[in-house]
Amino acid sequence: MADLRVSLCGVELKNPVIPASGTFGFGREFDEIYDISCLGGVATKGLTPELRLGNPVPRIAESRGVILNAVGLQNPGVESFIKNDLEWLKSKTRVVANVAGKTLEDYKNICARLDGLVDFIELNISCPNVKCGGMAFGIQPESVEEVTNAAKSALKKTPLIVKLSPNVESIANNARAAERGGADCLSLVNTFTGMAIDIERRKPIIANNTGGVSGAGIKPIAVRMVYEAAHAVEIPVIGMGGITCAEDAIEFLMAGAVAVQVGTQNFTDTLACPRIIEGLNAWCDLHGVKKISELTGALRLN
Amino acid sequence: MREVNALVLENKQIAEEVYSLTFSTEEKVPVRCGQFCMIGVGQRPLRRPIAICKAEGERITVCYRLKGEGTRSLARDYKAGERVSVLLPLGNGFYVKDGEKRVAVVGGGVGIFPLVSAIREYGKTKEIAAYIGFRNKNAVCMEYEMRKNATLTIATDDGSVGYHGTAVEAFEKDFDSFRPDVVLACGPTPMLRALKEAVKGKGIPVYVSLEERMGCGIGACLVCVCERTNGAHARVCKDGPVFEINEVDIR
Repeated sequence: MADLRVSLCGVELKNPVIPASGTFGFGREFDEIYDISCLGGVATKGLTPELRLGNPVPRIAESRGVILNAVGLQNPGVESFIKNDLEWLKSKTRVVANVAGKTLEDYKNICARLDGLVDFIELNISCPNVKCGGMAFGIQPESVEEVTNAAKSALKKTPLIVKLSPNVESIANNARAAERGGADCLSLVNTFTGMAIDIERRKPIIANNTGGVSGAGIKPIAVRMVYEAAHAVEIPVIGMGGITCAEDAIEFLMAGAVAVQVGTQNFTDTLACPRIIEGLNAWCDLHGVKKISELTGALRLN
Repeated sequence: MREVNALVLENKQIAEEVYSLTFSTEEKVPVRCGQFCMIGVGQRPLRRPIAICKAEGERITVCYRLKGEGTRSLARDYKAGERVSVLLPLGNGFYVKDGEKRVAVVGGGVGIFPLVSAIREYGKTKEIAAYIGFRNKNAVCMEYEMRKNATLTIATDDGSVGYHGTAVEAFEKDFDSFRPDVVLACGPTPMLRALKEAVKGKGIPVYVSLEERMGCGIGACLVCVCERTNGAHARVCKDGPVFEINEVDIR
């Protein structure tokens, strides 16, 4: 049995595996299939100050090795989450509250509301599917720094993770911008903006026309970006993008991530996260790795 | 609700472009009529949501139309003896109340398959009249299954067999003589819209099973929503797929 515990901004996770925001709700549905207290944490569905209904359907499409989604941040609003789900989720595992807003004020308010109530706040400044999903903040380094700074100013207790968009000119520059803005941690990558077309109807499959691309097919790009971001900043990084198995997760750790998030694979394989945790343990045992944290940044370039 | 590595027992064509897949879950899974499963096909990232047509203990049959790469691969690559990953049972299913004695079943296209399970479940205790639409004679399937437990009216678009017209027209024509207490329906959106129109003011409940592109299949990802008449969103996979017809917006 390897030691799978990792420490993120002074908070201990029992292992480095966290289901990614938007693929896992608030954890209740998956908990009907397996006990989610085995997870390192849960990144919640993106929360906004008020209830949001999201985009029209269809909201999802498949292409080779990837999916596209444009849910549009449907969620019951932060107050509903606090009232109905937070306590339950906290009793299970670490809570990463993913938050989004339209304005700097929104980001400040939602952070202030959740400060001290959750284990981490993950700032969604990279949702590609809604005009007000923060993507406007996520592209230019100047606005990344500005929104990070606004969020951080509202937080006294809870560490701030900034989730970076990959649809940018330089991931390293944006990583540094978030760090300057006061981020305690980074997570990346969010989805790549894409389009899939139904050639019979000559229309995009997704009602929103474009959607965020995720899944196994994006993994090499995501690993490269995590490597670049992790080597541009001092703060810890959570890696994600196309992880389907323990070996994929280890690539992200070696590229410089302290923990990983698993998204699309939760759809492909409902038990993906517990299987990856088990696989990490087996891999470490087989390779004589006593503590999984040894793998972070263990990459040796050619 | 569980994930099983099921054993394929049979996977055969039963009509034009329609296949029937029977697998064993190797342990008894309780399934209600109208529930569905998510089937993993090869390395594809999304499982395919498919209605359960028949469930006898550990032996489950689903039927599907060849529609895209996933269903084509399911038909081609999964022969008897292969393993297939299935998440089931999912969704709410059909419920007919004790007092509802006469049940009309209206369906078309791949929508007939969840209805076949409802006919099987209620055929022994209720009087069932089924109105099932097909494109033409070659598309007809499950006829024997349905006739065993229901009075069946087949309707075809081209009149090549049965009633020349739609399933909803056949249902309407029969309505005053059969006088159903409840209607169960599943089919293409235009059919459901026509049905909603046809039952307006009749004062009987109509339960429709909806179809939508899905992500997780268990209610977590909020991909497969439909709109309730009060403006809220419902999850087709978890709150449905069966809804009272006036409770949701049919578009």
